Amino acid sequence: MNRYLSIFATFARVCLVRDMTFRANFILECVTSLGWMAMNLAFYLLVFTFTSEIGRGTGWTKEPFFAFVATGLIINSIVQALFMPSAEELTEMVRTGGLDAVLVQPLDAQFLLSMHRVDFSAFANGLVGVGLLVWAIPRLPHPPSPLALLLYPLLVVCGVAILYSLVIMLAAATIHLGRNQSLYDFWFYLTNFSRYPAEIYSGPWGGPLRALCTFVIPILLVVNVPARVIAQPFTGQAWGMIVGALLAALLSLVLSRWVFQSALAKYRSASS
Amino acid sequence: MHNSSPSHPSHRPSEQPSAGGKAVLSVSGLTKEYRVYDKPEGLLASVTGLFHRKNRVVEALKGVDLEVGKGEFVAMLGPNGAGKTTFLKLLSGIITPTRGTARVLGHVPWERTDDFRRRFALVMGQRNQLWWDLPAAESFRLHKEIYRIETRAFERTRDELVDLLGVRKLLLQPVRDLSLGERMKLELVAALLHEPEVLFLDEPTIGLDVVAQHALHRFLAHVQAERQMTVILTTHYMKDVAALCQRLVVVTEGSILYDGSLGQIVDRFTSHKIVTLDFDAPPEASRVERFGFPAEIRGPQVILRIDRTRIADALPGILREEGVRDVSVEDVPLEEIVAQLFRSGTSDAAGISAPTGTPR
Repeated sequence: MNRYLSIFATFARVCLVRDMTFRANFILECVTSLGWMAMNLAFYLLVFTFTSEIGRGTGWTKEPFFAFVATGLIINSIVQALFMPSAEELTEMVRTGGLDAVLVQPLDAQFLLSMHRVDFSAFANGLVGVGLLVWAIPRLPHPPSPLALLLYPLLVVCGVAILYSLVIMLAAATIHLGRNQSLYDFWFYLTNFSRYPAEIYSGPWGGPLRALCTFVIPILLVVNVPARVIAQPFTGQAWGMIVGALLAALLSLVLSRWVFQSALAKYRSASS
Repeated sequence: MHNSSPSHPSHRPSEQPSAGGKAVLSVSGLTKEYRVYDKPEGLLASVTGLFHRKNRVVEALKGVDLEVGKGEFVAMLGPNGAGKTTFLKLLSGIITPTRGTARVLGHVPWERTDDFRRRFALVMGQRNQLWWDLPAAESFRLHKEIYRIETRAFERTRDELVDLLGVRKLLLQPVRDLSLGERMKLELVAALLHEPEVLFLDEPTIGLDVVAQHALHRFLAHVQAERQMTVILTTHYMKDVAALCQRLVVVTEGSILYDGSLGQIVDRFTSHKIVTLDFDAPPEASRVERFGFPAEIRGPQVILRIDRTRIADALPGILREEGVRDVSVEDVPLEEIVAQLFRSGTSDAAGISAPTGTPR
């Protein structure tokens, strides 16, 4: 464990060195993603000039909603910074045979393949997310209890774990397919569902979709559970969600590990 | 005495040296089949291909048997697509075989245990294993972490290897700014940092100039001898083989055609020697024909192919011939023998094969 931590620290340091080598690119990446996020936030602000609540009686008024958005930013930026660059590169490694060099090293291949690149610019959004959360918490109609504040980071980690499992399973598909350029697109469509409160999925189409995205692909639990715990009143119902999120995170990790390992066993390697 | 027509393609001559006694690497019946999809030409065919695909099974390796002892330096020679790289990938555990067994350092390679992976290294001439945008020193440091090399041992090995190759001043340059030869040297340093017991080299000299090739040869020979490392090298270049290896394995179409020493391949697959005569002036064809051997006239030079058994008898007569200034007697060049082997596909059919029982 210690060794993995220190290897990860080396990866991170190496990536930081590289990011600093291409300084202009790094700054540009930060600015681009911050700009995209600012536009989104402005859009939500605009929405709240027309309504005071997203869905009647849901409790998602302006400040809770911004706490929700902040949670999403934090979780997504962690995934984007730690796992996404490596997963995207895996596609290229499978196609060019670069994966060979990874498989001969005395190290867990999944660890190396999912963590060897760190994109520090992606943390920019997360920092803004933290700022937004700090702004929203004192303004919430139901201030979070100490227990909720304690559970929040754990549930954020669960959300990250669920997203990570999805990324790594999609990446494993590239080992089978030999090529999977649409990885990022597919990822984007999937995570789109997680960006809004679960309550918006209702009615004859929304209901089944909500069930699907909760129990089959637990994408709705990613942001909703931690955001609810911190921004909404803590009721008995919350415990159900919390246990659900923990279980979903654990199951996704186990499943993704299995998928990834069986994909590696079937790896064909590219011609030299 | 040699058996020039092995009954099985993977037959190993009995005079094979099994250096070191205990096998570091032993492979038996190793077979790798690939299912490939023959993509037909044209759009319509491509669309049909979406629903119905004709798969074809390609045998990259066909039941290979091989045993390598500790400290051996083995060259694998074969044309493109012979299965050399597939063989190394199987031995490194990158891919799993369709059939057959292999043990390297007592491990089944494709189980990919950390204990096994810590004890060998693979260098591929056409792949880059160092971090592209960073100086090699950074990649080395990562290596140290991954292979759990002690700081003092790491520094000692690194300094030794770096000085042997004379690449100290390249350590702090980003790898992408280096020439191919320089990069290859650093790749080798990286691969040897954890002092592997077994080293697989897949075409390490590909694309390198003569100077860089020589430098690599010298380095590899030195390190291998010093550490008693077991090395398997695949290559297209006879120069690599001649400079480094005691043992040569020739592979074509997934089977081993020859496995033996460098010297023996000449004995086994050629029945004649090359005799080159230098005349004062270009001789007439009729004069050359009188020798009674297959001959080729290249200006003042005549090249004769004379059966080994008859060299001793034939030479005095040839030397008495008027106008002969110089003479040399050589074995058939290795390149020629190997090219013949590649073309013929099996050693039985090799046109240069000597009849059974040809004396040395």
